[in-house]
Amino acid sequence: MMDAITIRARFRDRGFIIDDAFATALQIALALEKPLLIEGPAGVGKTETAKVLADTLETRLIRLQCYEGLDAMTALYEWNYPHQMLRARLSEIEDASIEEREAQIFSERFLLKRPLLEAITEERSPVLLIDEVDRADEAFEAFLLEVLAEWQVTIPELGTIYAKHKPRVIITSNRTRELSDALRRRCLFLWLPYPTLDQEIAILKARIPDLSERLAKQIADLMQTLRGLPLQKAPGVAESLDWARALMNLHRDHLDRQAFEQTLGCVLKVHEDHAVVGAHASELATGLGESSESLQSGGYSLDTDFGFGSVSKKSR
Amino acid sequence: MYPFGALPENLVSFCALLRRDYGFRIGAGEMLDAARALDIVDLSDQHAVRSALRTVLAGTRDDAAMFDGAFNRFFLSRPPTLDHDRRAALPHERDSGPSGEGEEGPRRGRTTEATVAEIEEIRGEGLGPMTPFDANEEEGQAATVAGASYSPLGVENSEAPEVSEVNDEWVAAARVLVRRVQLGPSRKWRAAPRGRRFDLRRTLRASLQTGGEPLTPRWMTRPKRQPRFVVLVDGSRSMSQYAPTALKLASALARATSRVEVFTFSTGLRRVTTDVQRASTGKTHRFHDLASAWGGGTTIGACLTEFLRRFGARLLARSAVVIVASDGLDVGGSDTLRAAMQTLRRRSGAVVWLNPLLDTPGYEPTARGMSTAKPFVTTFSSVNDLAGFVRLSRTLRVR
Repeated sequence: MMDAITIRARFRDRGFIIDDAFATALQIALALEKPLLIEGPAGVGKTETAKVLADTLETRLIRLQCYEGLDAMTALYEWNYPHQMLRARLSEIEDASIEEREAQIFSERFLLKRPLLEAITEERSPVLLIDEVDRADEAFEAFLLEVLAEWQVTIPELGTIYAKHKPRVIITSNRTRELSDALRRRCLFLWLPYPTLDQEIAILKARIPDLSERLAKQIADLMQTLRGLPLQKAPGVAESLDWARALMNLHRDHLDRQAFEQTLGCVLKVHEDHAVVGAHASELATGLGESSESLQSGGYSLDTDFGFGSVSKKSR
Repeated sequence: MYPFGALPENLVSFCALLRRDYGFRIGAGEMLDAARALDIVDLSDQHAVRSALRTVLAGTRDDAAMFDGAFNRFFLSRPPTLDHDRRAALPHERDSGPSGEGEEGPRRGRTTEATVAEIEEIRGEGLGPMTPFDANEEEGQAATVAGASYSPLGVENSEAPEVSEVNDEWVAAARVLVRRVQLGPSRKWRAAPRGRRFDLRRTLRASLQTGGEPLTPRWMTRPKRQPRFVVLVDGSRSMSQYAPTALKLASALARATSRVEVFTFSTGLRRVTTDVQRASTGKTHRFHDLASAWGGGTTIGACLTEFLRRFGARLLARSAVVIVASDGLDVGGSDTLRAAMQTLRRRSGAVVWLNPLLDTPGYEPTARGMSTAKPFVTTFSSVNDLAGFVRLSRTLRVR
């Protein structure tokens, strides 16, 4: 049994900085053997949590990526039809009885295990990551509830398979849809916000050890400002890391206006957001270490694109 | 204020407080989990206890945000009715013995509780949040009940809008409205008894029942695409008479299709889909969560911009019908409103504006907000009663 301090230390060893509340939530989820539902904005490390947790516990990570139209069979198991057909044809010449042939065809050899069944049959309890559960539909959620409650799967041809060890479950959601109360009630809940300034500096330094102190501080500082702007897609931690790596590759040891514009594509992923950043240039100026007057010569001076996102003024 | 002596009682009454005053959904299962969680963490570490209970008891982001306030109020605050003469009695009390942790001491009244809170304050830090000590049970209960009077949700209940029962006629009209949005087939293939495409996999699977001979062919078809309805209801005071009708329309839609999202806006935007869905199934008709969004002026442009930024990407598409219910009396800038309406129009299949004043004889949509928004509206109508809804469901146009 790991306590919060150990979890925190082990996550830190793997370059993943978490705070006390997060560590306590993980500790309780592990101790109570309940699924942990993690919600938060995109790019704060929800999926990464499961990966690092599996690494920390020295166990396998089994991932179920949810998407619209995901059905129970894709998540649980499927029979290998072509293989079964072939076997049925080939065994016609044998003298085996129908029952024997049936038992052959419907044996575990012809069973394709999908993530949920795989997690149940694993020898050591694995970390099961159910990613972006909000993308799947309500029907799948109901099915998931059943599996999470019972940890057993019934295959009509084979019988019921019971879990040898309860998997440790991490469920993530991006809140594109409100999850049902029933699912929420069965899970422990953690809201994972964007990191604070100090946390982000620590993350940058842990993940990119060569990064200079000054650059890390500048990036984290600018990120805090950017997340405060009314952007359509606010940058997450992944963007900070990309940005830091990009600047390292350009051999920059600090951020200035030119470097900022060159590498803005690492941070802003929507065209309209560039206009927003242009409009708030003065707020970003302090982060770039310059006075606000010098800004007027460059940068995005887009006034309007008439709402179509296709017309842009010349930037210089 | 620790109302009760032992840890289990404290936990139970804390859960009761969360349930009653903050609208948490806590059942026996959650309470048991909370007790088990407290067994694991270090009880003398306030932050650990706080995070542990938050993880177990909070179910949504809103819950998690409210939790800290509730935790402080229950475990760390002094009783609300601390007055001057009790403060005056304090030094004497403090000298008289240990700070109230004595389990065997005589039962003390509210004064003692106040004293303990004061002493904690003087020390600069609380005792362990769960440290059990002796306190009068009834007093504790009285204090908790007194706390209910300043609950964030309880106060404005009288102003919370109530939606009258959604009857079958409304639902029927909503179904017509949903059907009116013709979207054509989706890209996905789905098994169907009579379809356009041969389903080799299912045919082979079925053939196993007939000894490997594919006797029964299986087919696939493309399911119809379902439209999404986004209802934005103006919650300003000038709309207070009409907003319940708009919410009733939303409830009827929620019964006709599952792809409905409902928001209210006045000075800020608020998602009320869950409440509307609950109302449509007949569980509750009063919108408690809405109370604080109700009343006051409206900044329509700013609210629509906020909607576009937070939800636009995932809710709007050509298959979405946006229904705005507002009288168009806007206190914000018209540039913001124009830009927001433009984007709304561009990114959705239809923009329906329901203006309750349209039924008023002699009304012309000349108010600044309304005249700004009108060019981007595809269907301009009013729904003040069932007849209006039926009319809308027959005249809606989607590009």
